[in-house]
Amino acid sequence: MVIRLAAVGDVHLDEDVVGRFRPALEELPECADVLLLAGDLTRHGTEAEARCVAEEFGGLAVPVVTVLGNHDHQCDQVPQVVKVLEDAGITVLEGNGVVLDCAGGRLGIAGVKGFGGGFAGRCASDFGEPEMKAFVRTTTDSADRLGAALRSLDCDMLVALTHYSPVPDTLVGEPLEIYPFLGSYQLGQAIDSAPTALAVHGHAHAGTERGTTPGGVRVRNVAHPVIKQAYSVFHVGDQLDTDQVSPIGQSGSQRSWS
Amino acid sequence: MTDRDIGADPPDEYVEAEIQRLLVEDPAVAEQGITVVRRERALVLYGEVESPHRREEILRRVSERFPDVPITSDIGVIGAQAPTEIEQLP
Ligand SMILES: [Fe+2]
Ligand SMILES: [Fe+2]
Repeated sequence: MVIRLAAVGDVHLDEDVVGRFRPALEELPECADVLLLAGDLTRHGTEAEARCVAEEFGGLAVPVVTVLGNHDHQCDQVPQVVKVLEDAGITVLEGNGVVLDCAGGRLGIAGVKGFGGGFAGRCASDFGEPEMKAFVRTTTDSADRLGAALRSLDCDMLVALTHYSPVPDTLVGEPLEIYPFLGSYQLGQAIDSAPTALAVHGHAHAGTERGTTPGGVRVRNVAHPVIKQAYSVFHVGDQLDTDQVSPIGQSGSQRSWS
Repeated sequence: MTDRDIGADPPDEYVEAEIQRLLVEDPAVAEQGITVVRRERALVLYGEVESPHRREEILRRVSERFPDVPITSDIGVIGAQAPTEIEQLP
């Protein structure tokens, strides 16, 4: 049994590009059980741009699950953006998860936007000025919520969805100097704290498609400029024993927008 | 961005920094994925955007702000076709 995932990130929609993805999206049911969107759905995170996303990715024949990206926060309209997406039937994750019944089994998806901070041995520390500590604590908090969400899902296969990268592997092609703004090892640690089958992220437009966490979880950067197609498709055959996945907790914990 | 006049003959590195920030912070552009590379004769912009309109807008905004800096652009428009291959992950 196989679970079929389609994924793309960083579509940065606005009026000028509405309709471009739609022909390819209509073919989704033939190759995928679900479409994952890895954040940066919009250019500036306005309600109007979110309506473009709803038009492009709403009403598809497969469920659509997303996290937001940093661009989706730019205009401080996150609650409005989320509402427009949810009204279009898109599931927006931030520190929680969802379980979908697919032909190949129950697919659990946990998602957070994530944040920067850098990678093991070359990362920011929770030390010094309040601004620095706030930066690092934002990452730690995000990673903690991702880990908790992953461990809470009762499913046959577990997927982590983030905007920021959990590993440096998929950043290759980006300037080394900006790695700390592209992701954090703590997201990888969270992914490795659960029996995750696949981690999907975006954000690194000049990065590389494939990577692996230190714990051996496969990571895919699906940023649109990286994959250069409407979406990538992954057929994951790796079924987990049910007792490997914590049976505790419910599939849809409350969202934590404030 | 600052409103400070950067002078008639600004150091290239500062121009490069200002352009990089303009590409992200100018609401008409808002692109984080464009690289500015300093070549001998011009600054070259590399990257991928979602539409020809956005590519034109980038050049327009940059040359508007830095009329004396020779800029060339090698920016591509990303395709949105359905994939032809599926990655099997056993
Ligand atoms: Fe992006
Ligand atoms: Fe991003």
